[in-house]
Amino acid sequence: MRVPYSYLREQFADSESILRDIKGLLESTDFTLGAAVAQFEESFAQLCGTRHAIGVGTGTDALFLTLKALGVGPGDEVITAANTFIATAGAITAAGARPAFADVGDDFNLDPAAVEPAITPRTKAILPVHYAGQPAKMAPILEVAKRRGLPVVEDACQAIGATIGDRLVGTFGVTAGFSLHPLKNLNVWGDGGVIVTNSDALDGQLRLLRNHGLRNRDEVEIFGYNSRLDTLQAIVGNHLIKDVEAITTARIRNARALDVGLADLAGRVRIPPRDPRERHVFHLYMFEADDRDRLLAHLVSRGIEAKIHYPVPLHLQPASRRLGYKDGDFPVAEGQATRIITLPVHQHLTDDQVSYMVESVRRFYRG
Amino acid sequence: MRVRYVDLPRQFEDGAVLARIADEFQRCQFILGPQVAQFESRFAALCGTSFALGLNSGTDALFLALRALDVGPGDEVVTAPNSFVASAGAIVMAGAVPVFVDVNAEYLMEAAALEDAITPRTRAVIPVHLTGNPADMDAIAAVARPRGLHVIEDAAQAVGATVDGRVVGALGIAGAFSLYPLKNVGAAGDGGMLTTSARELADRVALLRHHGLRDRDACEVFGYNSRLDTLQAIVADAALDRLAAVTETRIRHAAFYDAALCDLAPDVVVPPRRPHVRQVFHTYVIQAEARPRLIAHLDARGVETKIHYPIPIHLQKAAEHLGYKRGAFPVCEAQSERILSLPIHEHLSSDEQAYVVERIREFYRG
Repeated sequence: MRVPYSYLREQFADSESILRDIKGLLESTDFTLGAAVAQFEESFAQLCGTRHAIGVGTGTDALFLTLKALGVGPGDEVITAANTFIATAGAITAAGARPAFADVGDDFNLDPAAVEPAITPRTKAILPVHYAGQPAKMAPILEVAKRRGLPVVEDACQAIGATIGDRLVGTFGVTAGFSLHPLKNLNVWGDGGVIVTNSDALDGQLRLLRNHGLRNRDEVEIFGYNSRLDTLQAIVGNHLIKDVEAITTARIRNARALDVGLADLAGRVRIPPRDPRERHVFHLYMFEADDRDRLLAHLVSRGIEAKIHYPVPLHLQPASRRLGYKDGDFPVAEGQATRIITLPVHQHLTDDQVSYMVESVRRFYRG
Repeated sequence: MRVRYVDLPRQFEDGAVLARIADEFQRCQFILGPQVAQFESRFAALCGTSFALGLNSGTDALFLALRALDVGPGDEVVTAPNSFVASAGAIVMAGAVPVFVDVNAEYLMEAAALEDAITPRTRAVIPVHLTGNPADMDAIAAVARPRGLHVIEDAAQAVGATVDGRVVGALGIAGAFSLYPLKNVGAAGDGGMLTTSARELADRVALLRHHGLRDRDACEVFGYNSRLDTLQAIVADAALDRLAAVTETRIRHAAFYDAALCDLAPDVVVPPRRPHVRQVFHTYVIQAEARPRLIAHLDARGVETKIHYPIPIHLQKAAEHLGYKRGAFPVCEAQSERILSLPIHEHLSSDEQAYVVERIREFYRG
């Protein structure tokens, strides 16, 4: 059996209506910040329960532009998790600031207890990541941030629709950044990103920054960037946003089946804690595994596209050399990097494929 | 009669682009797919460079060129004040300070003014091939080279333009192109290209556009996310098929305007020409006496015109902190009050062009 990681092909079973709208776009040629972008922004804001959503070029830019709008720049530090996708740190350095990494907890998210010790007089923001679709521990992070007068920007790139209690991610920070990369739960067919916020002032500033700082065609208010969600991609987004709830439900169902199927391997396999008050949306299904590299090879040889997100923590990447971190600085993230593995969990998996993955992992440990 | 400034829908009316897009849905390689590589290699061949890299925008092409050359905070970069704001915006993005020099009668960086703008902090010069007319690269290089300054071409409006047969994009250390939908080679959204023959520079830009990732797991430098979408590469590739015809048509339209309007001087000044230079006329810019009244006159008769651009960058609110005053660049400032872009797109008919000419002539000659 084959269990592919990517499911984009399945999306095209139903691409005809999208193509019809793209045909309409080629007739109207409303290519730059067109009507479909405004419509998508409105639907996205509604989905997240925020006042504003701003379509930008990428999820990376969603974070980067927010930091610029908050005035973060050279000489400043931004605290984030040591184990995330590289773009979180990239957005911080793109703004001219220094990423200050902090260790993570057993949920693969920023350890709230590690945040305060990382704060220095140069800290300008805290950037927790809702990694894999699991909301970060926002209550204690917000408590520290409030006490120390720091804004919190959510990296919600992997976590659309995730909740803590009845509160959606994207509503905890001053802004949140989302990615629409083709493999995300809500995706488009190229690069795209969204920023959500309840602040009218930030909304205005971000709309300027994404479009060259142009107040109108002729007047430049501030020097800005070019980071616009393409109308073409917004059209795709407008079709797929209707499916977010169904996609999320399917991923959660698949994740539950994996949880149950792997539960009695405890000791060899460690599933992260599941808190019933939180809704993990399973952009990634990650767990820690003994003998990880051999398990990975075993799964791949059985046709299962398992992956590792990611084998090298950010502070140990060559890019971080000048930041002065060393092996041992973040023992939890470093330990996890040698043990984590990711199984396909996407919405197009069949029950048979899920059972096959469970059986394949079990066979590896039980022979 | 109505004469539109642009007539973009005509580009897509034969359905060929849609068919190519639909075809990609069978492959789903939306991020840096094979069509991006194909477009890059065709674009490099067009410019005569060893490398071309697909990016998110023309702005990013300038910005990433600067970043890849380690131009950043504390540095100055010299450019022209009459360009689209992104030429200066890319410099600010890189953390450097834009320094402006005045332009000449061709709306291009005045090479003679360049030397005075150079300070010990100057690291690079970005001449702009505004309107599709190549800047005087030899004169600029003569100033820049002995001082070790990088010359990056802002060729956003100038794909296919040549000087003595040499194509823009290959005349500096790097060339930056825009694939904005209205450009001579346009996508159906944002896109940009960086051209260079310097392998190390190409390699750095390839890293920087993709999060600094050497491979899936190893991040060599902290980078950005600035990739030409596969879907946009498909659209731009189709536009590249038409480029030769589009350019010829635009040049023919320009020659028609030249001949039909030149005797209106000094009320109307047509674009100056240099021998051995092939302008590609992304815009056809005249200088017009009584411009606001001419615009109203044309508008009332269905002729759409534009101004590229009415406010020079150094007089924008965004540039206040740079400390320039009105009067700093008299040529550029005077031009900004007189310039007017006439419709020149490739779908313009000869009747439409004749109509534009008649309406202009009647305005000045009654």
